[in-house]
Amino acid sequence: MIPIEYFLALSAILFAIGAYGALTRRNTIVVLMSIEIMLNAANINFVAFSSFFNDASGQVFALFSIAVAAAEVAVGLAILLNLLKTSDTIDLEEVNTLRW
Amino acid sequence: MQPIELAWLIPVFPLLAALILGILGRKMKEGGGYIAIVAAAASLVLSILVVVQVLDGSFDGADGVINGVYEQSGTWISLSPTYKFEIGVYVDQLTALMLMVVSIVSTLVIIYSISYMGEEGGRKRRYYTEISLFVGVMFGLVLANNYLEMFIFWELVGLCSYLLIGFWYHKPSAASAAKKAFIVTRVGDIMFMIGIIILFTTFKTLNFRDLFSMEVSGSDLGLLTLGTFFIFGGAIGKSAQFPLHDWLPDAMEGPTTVSALIHAATMVKAGVYLVARSFPLFVQTPETLIVVAIIGGVTAFMAATMALNSPNIKRVLAYSTISQLGLMMLALGAGGYLFYNSMGSEGYTASMFHLMNHAFFKALLFLCAGSVIHAVGTEDIRLMGGLGKTMKVTSFAMLIGALSISGIPPFSGFWSKDEVLATVWSAGSLSWVFVLLYVLGIATAFMTAFYMFRLWFLTFKGEPGESSKHSHESPKSMTLPLVILSAFAAVSFLVLFIGSGFGGTVYFEEHGSLSIEGVLSGIFSDPLTYVSIIVAACGVGLAYLVYYKKRISSDVFVSSNVTRAVYSLLQKRYGFTAGYDAFAEKIVYGFSRVVDWFDLKIIDGIVNGISFTLTRTGDYIRRMQTGRAQSYATVIIAGISVILVLLYLLGGLR
Repeated sequence: MIPIEYFLALSAILFAIGAYGALTRRNTIVVLMSIEIMLNAANINFVAFSSFFNDASGQVFALFSIAVAAAEVAVGLAILLNLLKTSDTIDLEEVNTLRW
Repeated sequence: MQPIELAWLIPVFPLLAALILGILGRKMKEGGGYIAIVAAAASLVLSILVVVQVLDGSFDGADGVINGVYEQSGTWISLSPTYKFEIGVYVDQLTALMLMVVSIVSTLVIIYSISYMGEEGGRKRRYYTEISLFVGVMFGLVLANNYLEMFIFWELVGLCSYLLIGFWYHKPSAASAAKKAFIVTRVGDIMFMIGIIILFTTFKTLNFRDLFSMEVSGSDLGLLTLGTFFIFGGAIGKSAQFPLHDWLPDAMEGPTTVSALIHAATMVKAGVYLVARSFPLFVQTPETLIVVAIIGGVTAFMAATMALNSPNIKRVLAYSTISQLGLMMLALGAGGYLFYNSMGSEGYTASMFHLMNHAFFKALLFLCAGSVIHAVGTEDIRLMGGLGKTMKVTSFAMLIGALSISGIPPFSGFWSKDEVLATVWSAGSLSWVFVLLYVLGIATAFMTAFYMFRLWFLTFKGEPGESSKHSHESPKSMTLPLVILSAFAAVSFLVLFIGSGFGGTVYFEEHGSLSIEGVLSGIFSDPLTYVSIIVAACGVGLAYLVYYKKRISSDVFVSSNVTRAVYSLLQKRYGFTAGYDAFAEKIVYGFSRVVDWFDLKIIDGIVNGISFTLTRTGDYIRRMQTGRAQSYATVIIAGISVILVLLYLLGGLR
């Protein structure tokens, strides 16, 4: 039996990697992918605690979260396509019209 | 229905007349003067009915009479069941006296005005409107049953005074005199208002009946002293007492009828009336009473000195009014002090008696002066002289007025002035201050006799002056009021001997009821009476020698350096006029400039500073809104991290 701490550590590392990517990358697609990594870090937590507490609801939530993430990616990519169409770029540094 | 239940109608007639004249007067004959007369006469009739009922005591059975006071009132403003302001009428002997004085004098003055103001053309409507308004609000002031109502009418008579002093507003001197009267009395009005506020916050009521029946003790007594002091401040302004006396001589810029009615017989009495009305409060505060007496005595003396060498017939009378009002105040102060020491309340009666007599003889003197001015077209007595031959009625009426005010028996002024001085003398046994004030009073009596006869001799006797060549007696409608008023001035002392006497009708707490013999022997067995008679006779005699026989040249008053300095000091009114101006210019204007600077630099500075700082900071802070989604996300994550760390450190996660 692998102790729960290992899962949590993996999850934390994955989340940190995802957060770093989401904050630093200028390419919107890479940012979207980083967000997926963060979501999966959360899913690992769900599954780990589910098995730790012997409770199935964590796994249900993980499945649910995966489904939502899929929908989110669809929406995100749609926005990305529109962004490309209107401003001819997918560089996040260029998309700053809501500034002072 | 008893007449007294209609007392509230007394002010309504003149007020209605003012309304009608104000709207329709232009089309009426004489500017609607006859309507003003009818309204004043209606008030006079109703006043007489009410006064008779009050004085013969038959109103005791009427509704609303408690302890000899008729009161009819309703709630005006109700803040809570205990906090409320009333509006109503309050009739006792003092009110009756004032009703009598105001109604008689105002009716006669308005009748007189028909001729006196006959040449004013289109301005007559304004004159009669304003004077009717004045008569109405003066009745209201007299009838008020609480201080707030009284204060409202107090301000309204001040307004009428302002309007009528400035009647000839195209003359700059009249316009500025009106403003001066308004502003100087306003100083007193503010003090009156402070007094009212003190009374209301201390006793939670302003009704005369509640205030006068109140037992005051402890710390409330200190507040009451403060309250009566400030109420007396109001009286100082309205009754032109030192140091706010300087507006009254200037108020002579108005028509003479206005001077007679407002600035001699009625409105300036309002201050004395206020003190007399508040007498139940004043007698509990001896400190205020001494102030009242001192102010009264000093005013009486100072004003009499200023009357000595004034060349203007109306100003002499104005100073004389101030001086006599001072005597009334002096009597109230001394009488109240005596009452406080349980030594009777004759001072109150004496003061009110003098008030009544003064209203008649001073109105008479002013109307005589008006008649003279009407005839010669000037107010300078140096240009008059010898008018006695052409104006027999006027000169005779004025002689009666002068004898009366000088205190020559048996004219009315003698009786009341003697009682005033006797009160002050008997208060002298309590404090040396009153002995001093008695001396001032006697000196005033001497000067009064002197300046009145100086005025009379210079006007009516001697060689005709340059203005008196084409003089003629005034028309009947002017001489008739003179005759009636001179009858009043000569015989109003008779009330001493009717029924239980004046002291038996107008009194405070103690019912003075002496028989005729008692009154007479009381007066004539007192050596002080002879002192005042002799002093008055000396004054008349000196005036006779100087201004009629010319045995003593009047140059004697300006011959040496000292007397010349005094002479010019008196002509400059002790520098009060210049003093007021200097005060306004240096102190008030200087203070205003300091306030202006404070407003511009400090108040505006703070406001502008705050807005400047905020816009500047905003300019910098808005640069944080970069529009980059990632930098916002960074801030969010950093913030959450900080919160998590803090929660962990503080133990919130365990």
